[in-house]
Amino acid sequence: MSTTTLEGFPKDIVVADPAAGSVTLTVDVAVYPLEAVYGAAYIFIDRCYVLLDRPQGGAYSVTLTPKAAATTDALRSMVGEFANELLSQAWRQKIIEENRVILEAVTTQALSGAMGPPTLDDLAAFDFTEDSFDDPLGIAMSWEEKYRKKSPEEAAQEAAGAQPTESKP
Amino acid sequence: MTERRFHRSIYDVRAVQGAIKALERFAALTLTEEGEHHVVRVAAKSPARERRVADELCNHALGLARREVF
Repeated sequence: MSTTTLEGFPKDIVVADPAAGSVTLTVDVAVYPLEAVYGAAYIFIDRCYVLLDRPQGGAYSVTLTPKAAATTDALRSMVGEFANELLSQAWRQKIIEENRVILEAVTTQALSGAMGPPTLDDLAAFDFTEDSFDDPLGIAMSWEEKYRKKSPEEAAQEAAGAQPTESKP
Repeated sequence: MTERRFHRSIYDVRAVQGAIKALERFAALTLTEEGEHHVVRVAAKSPARERRVADELCNHALGLARREVF
């Protein structure tokens, strides 16, 4: 098997096999996870025959053989597209990994919400004995409760607690 | 005789077997295990047909490996 380099690509990363009409890329395992290689390769199976291999421990090789006869320029373009797709897939994998916890939390909430409203049995079993929440501004008070006529004791207490106002000369 | 080598860490043996099953009516396909690879040998009426079946085998195995559907 005689191989040649492909103009514009490093010879240790991309080599072409004119006899087979194929091109082989070497992909660093540390940079691109297998899922990204699968994803990029899968996108190309409508245009190429794709064979993945692992010739060394630290690298995958991706051999692309176009289904139709391809010129050198077409091969170069295809390799460039594959490299871009590989980067895109690797980035997507990274985002998925970073957001996995959030995705799982949202999914769990959505599923628990989809279970529907609580039944009467659920409400009967619910513990309502918790302390009432703090409401310093009286937002949760009813109008009647807030503006009812105060008793003389309450009025005196409120006046004692009120801040003194400036008197006019 | 044409052969394709599928690395074990990339292709589950069930994916390779599934691809062989799908294409065995087009050529004689034999699967052997050699070191880190599942090796499939393809024998058909002509070298061109062998190569075509071997190439299709690669895509089929990749599809099955990716989907993990056997």
